[in-house]
Amino acid sequence: MGSTEGFRIVLLLLLIGCAIAVNLTKNLMQAVIIFMSYSSIMCILWILMESPDLAITEAAVGAGISGTLFLMTLKKIKAEDAGENEKKIKKKKGKR
Amino acid sequence: MTGGWIGFWITAVLMLAGMLAFTAGVIGANRFGFALNRMHAAGIGDTAGLFLVFLAVWVAEGIHMDTVKLGLIVFFMWFTSPVSSHFLSQIEYYTNPGLYQFLHREKQQKGDA
Amino acid sequence: MKKVFDRFYNLIAVICCLLLIGVLLYAVSLLPSYGEENPRSVEVVERYVEHGLEETGATNIVAGMILDYRAFDTLGESHVLFTALICVIILLGKDKKNMRREYDSYYTVEAESYHLLQTDTIVRLVGYVLLPGLFLFGIYILLNGQLSPGGGFSGGAIMGAALIIFAVAFGFETVDRVFTEKLLKTVTFVALSFYSFAKGYVFFTGANGIDNHIPKGVPGAILSGGLILPLDIAVGFVVACTMFGFYSLFRRGSIGHDITFMDQQ
Repeated sequence: MGSTEGFRIVLLLLLIGCAIAVNLTKNLMQAVIIFMSYSSIMCILWILMESPDLAITEAAVGAGISGTLFLMTLKKIKAEDAGENEKKIKKKKGKR
Repeated sequence: MTGGWIGFWITAVLMLAGMLAFTAGVIGANRFGFALNRMHAAGIGDTAGLFLVFLAVWVAEGIHMDTVKLGLIVFFMWFTSPVSSHFLSQIEYYTNPGLYQFLHREKQQKGDA
Repeated sequence: MKKVFDRFYNLIAVICCLLLIGVLLYAVSLLPSYGEENPRSVEVVERYVEHGLEETGATNIVAGMILDYRAFDTLGESHVLFTALICVIILLGKDKKNMRREYDSYYTVEAESYHLLQTDTIVRLVGYVLLPGLFLFGIYILLNGQLSPGGGFSGGAIMGAALIIFAVAFGFETVDRVFTEKLLKTVTFVALSFYSFAKGYVFFTGANGIDNHIPKGVPGAILSGGLILPLDIAVGFVVACTMFGFYSLFRRGSIGHDITFMDQQ
């Protein structure tokens, strides 16, 4: 338990960072990718909490399939680079 | 005694090289602007970095059940990661209409001159 | 005026978020700390840990819990998946009313084979090597649910992911030869009704104090744990079908390649 304590704290900090970054990022594609990395970190945390059942499910569903479904939704509504245009417009406005 | 030191140094060098490859992959995947370059950087991290770290663990721990399982994971990653990079770059090639200017830059320059 | 309203709105939003964070943190602070015994739930935990093996016959106590003691909960979960699939079919399924021609032509099988992605030799070869392993791994996790970590949900999710990779590597035309809409409907219906009837039988006999004549088997053997193994298989098939159904519906708006409808077009 003692040897994994530091590792666990680092993972929890990363988890909080990912959770905040999902909210702050404007690009939807990046948000989906950050969400998938959140799931991967959660998967390692489940293993550290000694529940490999949940870890397998989290790796398959959270990091794999739900990310795929999110990306396909973005493709379906044609918003793969939503947010990028807003940034460019803001930059142009700033220059003016 | 000396054998242990040799093993330790080999492990250290291999591990550091693997970490360097991973760092290069992460920095490249985040900093490069062009999709195919980013794919290349991510591929370096997934293949070379993983293989070097696996070699380091293998030298340090010797061959037993756990390292054999790790080797299977490395085998799996060497199968899947380059293929997914290939697939993604092919999709990029077919769907990005602006890719032409990146691929034929020299020809265009000659034409301009 | 609008600026004032915006500022007010942002202020209210921040205050609401802070209040919510405060309430949640207060609730967390009331929980017993990690690893400490909770006096209210300790009886149930003792019962599960001490008598779980002899009462359910499963070496993996988690499987014994979710598929024997709390099988009703798992039944609800698999029905939630089924309901989600139905909702996605209603929302995204192609029919005469829900058809946007110039938009959907981008997603048809012909339009994708135009990109020559399905005839890619490398992806196909790796598919030949990887897919049997992936399916075997999923089936292994499914069948060893009562012995080792895993079970219906994880195994089914891996099998669903393998089906998705199958569709990516070989194209929907190949999958349609095996996996049709009729097959999905049949498998889901049979699995869910089997689950309901089997568990209903066990609950009925158990509530009335009758022996249910289901052999428990030797703990640790692959055919052990009474009803846990068949229930695991049922849940796994439902999850796999749902996952692939989601992918197929999101991708092209139908599960199987509906030839009659395409002819009408």
